[in-house]
Amino acid sequence: MKSKIVFAVLFFFVLINFSTSVSQEIQNPKSKIQIHNPWVRVAAQGANTALFFVIENTGEKPDTLISAESKIADIVEVHETYAKENDMMGMREVKFVAVPSKSKVEFKPRSLHVMLIDVVKDLRIGDKIHVVLTFKHAGKIKVKAVVQEMPIMGGMKH
Amino acid sequence: MISFYDKILQTISYFLVVKKSISGYRVFFNKLACSTMKKIIFITIGIFVFFACGEKFEVIEDFGKEKYKLINQNGAEVIFPDLTKGKTAIVGYIFTNCPDICPLTTNNMRLIQERLKKEKVEGVNFVSISFDPENDKPDVLKKFAEIRNLDLSNWTFLTGQKLVIDSVIKKAGVVAVPGDSTIYPDGRKIYYFVHTDRIQLVDDEGRVRKNYPGSKINVDEIVGDIKSLVD
Ligand SMILES: [Cu+2]
Repeated sequence: MKSKIVFAVLFFFVLINFSTSVSQEIQNPKSKIQIHNPWVRVAAQGANTALFFVIENTGEKPDTLISAESKIADIVEVHETYAKENDMMGMREVKFVAVPSKSKVEFKPRSLHVMLIDVVKDLRIGDKIHVVLTFKHAGKIKVKAVVQEMPIMGGMKH
Repeated sequence: MISFYDKILQTISYFLVVKKSISGYRVFFNKLACSTMKKIIFITIGIFVFFACGEKFEVIEDFGKEKYKLINQNGAEVIFPDLTKGKTAIVGYIFTNCPDICPLTTNNMRLIQERLKKEKVEGVNFVSISFDPENDKPDVLKKFAEIRNLDLSNWTFLTGQKLVIDSVIKKAGVVAVPGDSTIYPDGRKIYYFVHTDRIQLVDDEGRVRKNYPGSKINVDEIVGDIKSLVD
């Protein structure tokens, strides 16, 4: 009798785990907005870091990224790095990012990023984090990003 | 090399002759093609290249006579640039609240360090100087390096009193001004510096010899420069 209860409880936990991991892994394939190659830069607890990915809008209508949220950081904002004269670089918040129909918008180093401010734990290479991106039309999209030092697929050609 | 050279001369004379049809040009370039003329031109180019290379390593700024009291990632007091005297140094300027440019700069320094290790080039030190000493206390710098698994055997992170840091970066030609900011729920405010994106090549006497855009350097170029300065 006891073992049956233990088994049932274990089964229940396996089920829960299975269902949550599935919902986090898979983006809705019917969504017109697809997020490719998400990765986040290494950071120590309490530091800031940046999340990168490619947004693809396969639809006929334009869409807009309006916000990002995650439990991994105290504050999450959409930012862009910009260049000024004399090799000066700065960074600022952007309130939204337009994604025209049938196009891709790249969040990449030295450019657009999701800014994770005051991360709640160390992010080491290989760790994974969860972020939700909200689009005006496509709604909320869950993204699972892997921690790296350099971009996925070595796309860092200058 | 010679044939390539001949081809250039031929091309130039062809265009001039075809365009102007003046026989004088033809005579002039025929003369050029003769070997003494070639020698002279080669020497001229040689001199030009020599001076161009010399210029690459002009002294941009001199830390040599300075003694800045700074603090390393272990909280120990060090004197800059004394800690790198006698060695060539790669110096980067960062603040750790920076999520993009400064990690790129730091990672580029790591790539240089790894290349030098692979090619067995010795006598090079690495220094990362924070221009945000109010936030970048020694333990913050230490964690910044540790989380990235940086090899600190020849790499020092520096912070210090704001006044001292300010004079270091001023001398280095690095500008860092607080720009946009984010306010935490608890009211704390952090600034994102608008700053010079910079890695510097400093020689064994503490003189700045070349500047690079830190976050987008060409590793081959900088490794080549280090080798020619170390030799
Ligand atoms: Cu940012």
